[in-house]
Amino acid sequence: MSYENSRVSDVANILHARASSLVNKAEILKAVELKGLLAELPTLPVEQRASFGKDINHLKQELQNIVNESADTQERLATIDVTAPFDVNVNGHRPELLPSTGGSIHPLMTEMDAILDIFYRMGFNAVESRQIDDDYHMFESLNFPEGHPARDDYDTFMTTDGLIAPAHTSTMQNRVLKKYKENLEKNEPIAVVIPGRVFRNEDLDATHEHTFYQLEGVYVDKGVNAGHLIATLKTFLEEYYQQQLKVKTQPFYFPFTEPSFEFAISRPESLRKGTGTEDDDWLELLGCGMVHPNVLRMAGIDPEIYTGFAWGVGIDRLVLMKYGIEDIRHFESAKLDFLRQFA
Amino acid sequence: MKISLNWIKQFTDVNLSVDELVKKIGAQLGAVEEVIDLEERYRGIFVAQVVSCEKHPNADKLNVCKIDDGGQAKDIERDDNGLVQVVCGAPNVRVGLKVAWLPPGVTVPSTADKDPFVLGSRELRGVMSSGMLASSAELAIGDDHGGIAELDTPAEPGTYFAEAYELNDYIIDIENKMFTHRPDCFGILGVAREIAGIQGIKFTSPDWYKSSLGRIKPESSKITLDVRNGATELVPRFMAVALSDLRVGPSPFIIQTYLARVGLKPINNIVDVTNYLMYLTGQPTHAYDANKLRIISGTNDTVKLETRMSRAGDKVMLLNGKEVELKDNSTILITSNDIPVAIGGVMGGKDTQVDENTKDIVLECANFDMYSIRRTSMKYGLFTDGVTRFNKGQSALQNDVVTEEAVTTLIYVAGGHVASDVVDIKNKQFEISPVKVSSEFVNERLGLELSTVEMSELLANVEFTVKVSGTELSISHPYWRTDIEIAEDIVEEVGRLHGFDRLPIQLPRRSIKPVERDKLLALKTDIRHTLAKAGANEVLTYGFVHRNLLDKNGQSRKEAFELGNALSPSLQYYRTSLTPSLLEKVHVNVKLGYGQFAIFEIGKSHIKGQQDQREVTVPMEFNAVSLVFAADEKTSKSYNGAVFYQANLYLDTLARACRTQIIKRPANDEVLRSNPVLSHVAAPYDLSRSAIVCDINGTVFGIVGEFKQSVAKSLKLPQYSAGFEIGLRALQSKSNDATYKPLSRFPKAEQDLSLRVSSDTRYADVKVLLDEELGKLTGLNIYANIAPVDIFQKDNNKHITFRLTAAHNEKTMQTAEVSGLLDKLATIASQKLGSERL
Repeated sequence: MSYENSRVSDVANILHARASSLVNKAEILKAVELKGLLAELPTLPVEQRASFGKDINHLKQELQNIVNESADTQERLATIDVTAPFDVNVNGHRPELLPSTGGSIHPLMTEMDAILDIFYRMGFNAVESRQIDDDYHMFESLNFPEGHPARDDYDTFMTTDGLIAPAHTSTMQNRVLKKYKENLEKNEPIAVVIPGRVFRNEDLDATHEHTFYQLEGVYVDKGVNAGHLIATLKTFLEEYYQQQLKVKTQPFYFPFTEPSFEFAISRPESLRKGTGTEDDDWLELLGCGMVHPNVLRMAGIDPEIYTGFAWGVGIDRLVLMKYGIEDIRHFESAKLDFLRQFA
Repeated sequence: MKISLNWIKQFTDVNLSVDELVKKIGAQLGAVEEVIDLEERYRGIFVAQVVSCEKHPNADKLNVCKIDDGGQAKDIERDDNGLVQVVCGAPNVRVGLKVAWLPPGVTVPSTADKDPFVLGSRELRGVMSSGMLASSAELAIGDDHGGIAELDTPAEPGTYFAEAYELNDYIIDIENKMFTHRPDCFGILGVAREIAGIQGIKFTSPDWYKSSLGRIKPESSKITLDVRNGATELVPRFMAVALSDLRVGPSPFIIQTYLARVGLKPINNIVDVTNYLMYLTGQPTHAYDANKLRIISGTNDTVKLETRMSRAGDKVMLLNGKEVELKDNSTILITSNDIPVAIGGVMGGKDTQVDENTKDIVLECANFDMYSIRRTSMKYGLFTDGVTRFNKGQSALQNDVVTEEAVTTLIYVAGGHVASDVVDIKNKQFEISPVKVSSEFVNERLGLELSTVEMSELLANVEFTVKVSGTELSISHPYWRTDIEIAEDIVEEVGRLHGFDRLPIQLPRRSIKPVERDKLLALKTDIRHTLAKAGANEVLTYGFVHRNLLDKNGQSRKEAFELGNALSPSLQYYRTSLTPSLLEKVHVNVKLGYGQFAIFEIGKSHIKGQQDQREVTVPMEFNAVSLVFAADEKTSKSYNGAVFYQANLYLDTLARACRTQIIKRPANDEVLRSNPVLSHVAAPYDLSRSAIVCDINGTVFGIVGEFKQSVAKSLKLPQYSAGFEIGLRALQSKSNDATYKPLSRFPKAEQDLSLRVSSDTRYADVKVLLDEELGKLTGLNIYANIAPVDIFQKDNNKHITFRLTAAHNEKTMQTAEVSGLLDKLATIASQKLGSERL
């Protein structure tokens, strides 16, 4: 990268030259010229300061890199034989695994596996979702035309190459429908769940994550109706919470399902803290609906013959509720204080 | 979308309690976010009349008023005539005025939500004042703090304020998302129709909304309009009409309360009428000051109004006081004499705004392309009630009826005349084509058995026209429904109006064929169980990283996908491998006090230029597992030997659990150069202290090793840190079952073999050779195994001691036989590796 200010670029040339002749490269970080640049900063016109400051930081980083690299080339330890199972001259000592009691699986993954297990038992295949995708799969094949206002509800991250960090696991629907289309020809349903990591351009706080986990499901066959959808989700949730549940649907809008619903359940016993006051408390757990004929059509399935349903459920929230975790940011914090509670 | 129940009731009966209604709306229309009891907010407030008004003896700006509340307020101090004394500072207070009186004990409505302020009786400069006379702002109706609200109600003093202005009302806030495809439900009429429909009540739209009644009769041609549509592609219909001699002022108070209760601000009677109709029908309209337009038009006798597409550099000063400079040619502008006066469908302009001096106006009622409106709104960050409605795709067929109603209402509230012909520029025919569907089609998708009659009735309740022939229905939707296109839309309509909560629920059929578990997912589960059992902790970290993390690890930023709209620089790039994310989390945990730990992550990474082999439009996703072992300075003292072997042990443990045979080779630059993926994976590793991991065919799939000093330094790693990262593909495809050999009934024999080799000879070369030769020498009947016991290095020599364990299937192995095996092995090693037996 070049510098915007020639003053900084002149100093950079001097310091690079000096650094190459130093034995202890770390000394270059103390160069008087560098301090000089910093001292100049407040004397500059306001509009120039930002760019000047940026240049100084850039130069500092360059010099730091030189210092770091020099450390790599320093001779430090005896060479090792990487093909051996242990080091030389260790007198019978062997490398050891840490005690298994301290090991742990991430609670989100434990839950995802438990949920997958239920769906396997219910007869669903599973396919993992992608983490970078194109507009066709994320939107177009799901009946979101270009410029459709429903796209506003998905605050997607886009790469500079026009690719998308998927905001829902539905990004796999078209692929999954195509992959399992042959089931229909064999007079078997398409029944697939899609676990995966998804992304929303949302500011991070205790209840909002930009990175989270979803499980998508899709079921297509002849004669599938909305009652099948409700029954399937109810069965899944009753198995998951190990109890009978009251369920209700609320009409909703998704471009890729028609009709669309929000699906809510009565608060399960295990999530009740109080004394029955939460009876009437509905938990909206997932979005669902009958697969839109355009979505089937785009996967080469004739919507006159086949119908289906699909849903998506957020995993993070299930885990937050299950353990009463107060801050969603713990999930991706990698803090052992958090993780080892799930050992 | 906030709806007022009283407003709804002007158009349909509601036969349910509020609770029941809210439940029904939730089940059959959309999620209800909030219900507000407005009567509660206005409880205790009376309409009162000012009977006397005198200057306050001790304060210039205050008046002491006696008000008549019809004697309604309880427990209040009254004079001999039963009047109540209130001190009031408003300049407009005067005898005879009807006012809203807040007696002591009442909460000021505008404070109800945040910090409720309850009034009392108190002395103001020595004069007792009971409660207060409220301004519009204090009543949470307008912005006007300038004086008290002047009530225009015919109600007697002592009437409850809420009763006088129909504020004994409930506001029900229905989630907007549900209405994304329902432009009509962004109007009270649309929601009222649905509320009728879900109650099974037949709804009838007001006559004026059904079709034009021909009510607009120009009374003069005082204003000559020159209206053109230069953006025909994106403006399917554009209507305008001029009105003259209006009196601009506040709206009737009841209109103000209706606007306020649904969240709109009353401004003046002209703007209020346009907002009121927008909220009623979903169709925004806009009023321009005709005189200001005429001046911009540059002529004395003609008012010009024209739509055109923007040009880069066009500027328009908007009603919100902000000037927008147009970036390109994709925005619909309303212009006069080519000068922009509004952004079509988005926001009006300041320069042609209706103000208190306005006499004549031009009313615009148009239809705009929803996609264009949305793009403009996003591009310039303009979010208005107009945008919310236009970007749902309003029906162009309501422009004439709304124009007509707007003109009629404007003249009703502000006087004046129609002063021009109605201009109506249509750029296409708007036709409604019927959707044909059979009752089977609908029933099959809902699991119901409704008759055609039942279906027709449900649809007719919300003003669809249904023709039935046998089991076939031919359904014409009313003009305001732009969402009905296909048979499935009718399924939704029938299901919802019937009640999705009444569908029979039943599980789909299934076969007993076992489901095949997904291999990749199963492998991931196996890995996490294996490593957790080995004392490691699974972490999840973001897939997006800071460019500094790439830099620090020596990974080329150019090959990392970059987000164009990252939340922050720390989440700007897709990671190109997993190890750096773990390294970033080591220091955190050391600081938390963990002396030693192993953290691992199973995740995906992406590198530019590596396309998916089956799907060329998307990048390859590399599924990998990475683990980092670290011990702080104190804890690492209890370890003997390089930390490399700690990471290596975890890798071996994993490979064994996955029954995958792996081969390690010393790492070097050459391998990396030829493998762009590995070059990212290996970037943080110190190649002189790392091994490349291969499968038995020599295909490289990862690295295990210690980290570069530069990496350790910049990420504050303890010296005793090492890790690995391997692709899952090798593990997955190589998985196989365990191999079993029958147990021998005879005892095992053990003997050691020590070999001296030069220090450059690799352990693996010796071990592989011995394993191979041992296999050849022993055959099927002998079980034999060699394992390392010790490696000792001095000067340029390496001594490796192996222990041979052997058993025969049919007899006891003799010592001589074992020695014989060792002799043979030593000889071959000496021949092939130049080793010396010790």
